[in-house]
Amino acid sequence: MDAALIVYALNLSAIYALMAIGISLLWSSIGMLNMAHGATFAVAGYGTLVLGNALLPLVEAVFDGWAILPLLKMTVLLLSGVTVGALFGGLIYLLGFLPIHDKANFPVRGMIVTLAINLATVQALLWWFGPRQQALPNVFGFGRLNLFGIPLRYDQAMTIGATVVLLGVVLAWLRLSRKGLEIRAMMQNAEGAALSGISVRRTALPVVAVTGAMAGAAAVLLSQTVYVSPGAGAMPLIKGMIIALLGGLGSVPGAAIAALLVGTLEAVTGAIPFLGQRMVLVVQFGFIITVLIIRPRGIGGLLSETRK
Amino acid sequence: MTQPIAPVFHRVGNRRHEFTLAPDGNRDWHRGRVPGLSRHWLKWRGGYNPKTLQRERRLADKRPLWWLIGLGGLACAAPMLPDTLLQVAVVFCVFAAINVIWTLIIGAAGILSLATMAVVGLAGYAAAAANVYLGVPWPLMFAVGAFVGLVVGGLLALPSTRIDGLYYALLTIGVAEICRVSISQIRALAPQNSSINNVGSFIPQDWYLQRPGLLLGFATAFVLLLLALLLFRVINSERLGLQLQAAREDEDFSEAVGIDYRRARLHVFLISSAALGFVGAYYAMLYRSISLNVFSLDQLLLMFAMIVIGGMGRAEGAVIGTAIVVVIDRALIDLGPLRIILIAAVMIAVTLTTHHGLADVRSQFRGWRHRIRSERRAASTRKGGEVMPEEATEIADKQLIAYRRFDRRLRDRLKEMVTPELIEQHRSAPLGPHSDALARVLNYFRRGEMPDKYAILQEGDAGAWRYSVMALSGEPGKPPRVVDDRVYETRDEAYHAVFLLRVNDLLES
Repeated sequence: MDAALIVYALNLSAIYALMAIGISLLWSSIGMLNMAHGATFAVAGYGTLVLGNALLPLVEAVFDGWAILPLLKMTVLLLSGVTVGALFGGLIYLLGFLPIHDKANFPVRGMIVTLAINLATVQALLWWFGPRQQALPNVFGFGRLNLFGIPLRYDQAMTIGATVVLLGVVLAWLRLSRKGLEIRAMMQNAEGAALSGISVRRTALPVVAVTGAMAGAAAVLLSQTVYVSPGAGAMPLIKGMIIALLGGLGSVPGAAIAALLVGTLEAVTGAIPFLGQRMVLVVQFGFIITVLIIRPRGIGGLLSETRK
Repeated sequence: MTQPIAPVFHRVGNRRHEFTLAPDGNRDWHRGRVPGLSRHWLKWRGGYNPKTLQRERRLADKRPLWWLIGLGGLACAAPMLPDTLLQVAVVFCVFAAINVIWTLIIGAAGILSLATMAVVGLAGYAAAAANVYLGVPWPLMFAVGAFVGLVVGGLLALPSTRIDGLYYALLTIGVAEICRVSISQIRALAPQNSSINNVGSFIPQDWYLQRPGLLLGFATAFVLLLLALLLFRVINSERLGLQLQAAREDEDFSEAVGIDYRRARLHVFLISSAALGFVGAYYAMLYRSISLNVFSLDQLLLMFAMIVIGGMGRAEGAVIGTAIVVVIDRALIDLGPLRIILIAAVMIAVTLTTHHGLADVRSQFRGWRHRIRSERRAASTRKGGEVMPEEATEIADKQLIAYRRFDRRLRDRLKEMVTPELIEQHRSAPLGPHSDALARVLNYFRRGEMPDKYAILQEGDAGAWRYSVMALSGEPGKPPRVVDDRVYETRDEAYHAVFLLRVNDLLES
């Protein structure tokens, strides 16, 4: 396997990991299957477009000529994507979690409500921005840099780097902070956590916001290569869901490993001549379904950290 | 000679407007059965009216009536609709048929599969290809479609036994996408944008998109819906459905009594998939072509919205939900993307407020009302002669319960009317004229029960009468007792004394 392929695989894996870990985290902590994750992705893309168009000239004017200007611009874009994603996560919390989280049949009802949010959001974006694909301001150009002999496009390097940093921050926050402790308690035993005085409502909001922010980051990072469109969230959602499933819904390490596996698989399938880019999806789904039939709890089942 | 007065019957009770038949009392009790089965056609309940003692016949389950009104109305109205609305009606019938069968999978079999449109689409493609490329005549397309549906259903059912619930639902979302991509890879179809056109059909070529063709399309779609409903009825309410119902309530128990519910689930899934394949073939014939749109995620979500709005697991829910969504989506086409937002809003509202969709709203409302009532009853601490719920079950004569409740309320109102002015008014003119309030109070006293009713005893000689107050025993042969030793000079004074005693009793009760 040549080096460019590895980079491409890592690039895909990074985006998938951001989506799948968000979905997995949400399921394991509050038991909600967030079907509006794709909508968060699309909304964050458009939010970044609007905010970026407003803020970037400002940044350029202030820091004109600085060497780190591209990095600053990227940070601004990432921050706006993360903010919009987190805000949209708050909306999902208000509509899809708060009214029904203590009612009967919450998993299915939560799934339905978030599905409806997804449907409405995509149409609203279509209505507001039109069906035309739009490009996010490209910060890095298409330059390459050479890292230890591996040719690396700037945006790929940025995506992989930013994902590693973001995931590191989120995982550290989960591991080290007080809120993270509460969230992990809720993951292990929701009822026990509630009995120890952890408010489900107060803990759920940061989780939804953080997962929304991760989707927002994924949107910004991916839109360096792919255009923003109202339906842009559908594919990341489906793939994120399936990867989360493969990782064994609820297991963060499982989702990370699954994202790596699927990203690699996609890159390799695309490179094999007789399969090609068009059969990627079929091969991917075939692989995941086979794994799930053999091990219904996915990779997380092996790591045994899933929510029953 | 006076005319006999005909008795007037007033309708009373909670369900006084319910329609009942009055069959001939001399005829035997009888209900029609479905030929060859032990089932009855309708859920008639016979009985006797407790007041008139006449025979009565009541339809205990009125859902067939509503089905008849709804579907009959559609069938009668459709030929008069303009072409565009007729097409909406056709779409409604086809989607409703698909949703009813889907309901069978989700509700009866309890498998949350979202691969419905994938089965419909694959079967449709297979049937269309068989007709166009292999020259299979159109009547056989149904068989091809059903067979392909069965095979695809079998493939889909494989993981369903291993993977449960939401996991399976997520997995099946991807299936339609795989089908879409796979078919778009077929080179032979590439020139026509991956769709198959000029499919043979029950609608003759020159009728297509003409008025007679549309009418024929509607008639067949309507029959398709009826067939789907029949399938639902046959599976859901017969052996398979009952087995699965038992499994839904308690899997371990049903297994212990010998129900192989996994097998029953599989059977329902396979039968439903074959039926979906049948619908797929029909779909290809109805539009004389089939394209990749069948597999689109939006279409799937729209179908899911229909099921969710109506309520998962009930045929009427599937049909109601389909009607709502199809009307918003197809009839309000001027609204543009707004109508999908509207559908999503309805979906959210229904999911947040109802437990099992719109079809269940009535029983949910009744449950809510019942809860509120019993809460209120439990919170009330006053008794005042009223029957409390726990003793009400012991009393056979329910009218007594109602009377005592009425009596308590009446007394509560009368107590507010008793004022010093009222007593003064009675003292000055015991025999009237009375004000309205006093008349009401006196009327209530006059209606009192015989035990402990007061009477005035007149003693002495003419011109020098003395009056005292007594209380009747209410039992034959038992003399009245003396209430107190007070003696009154005039009859009016005695009247007033009785009044005061009664007022005292009223205020103390």
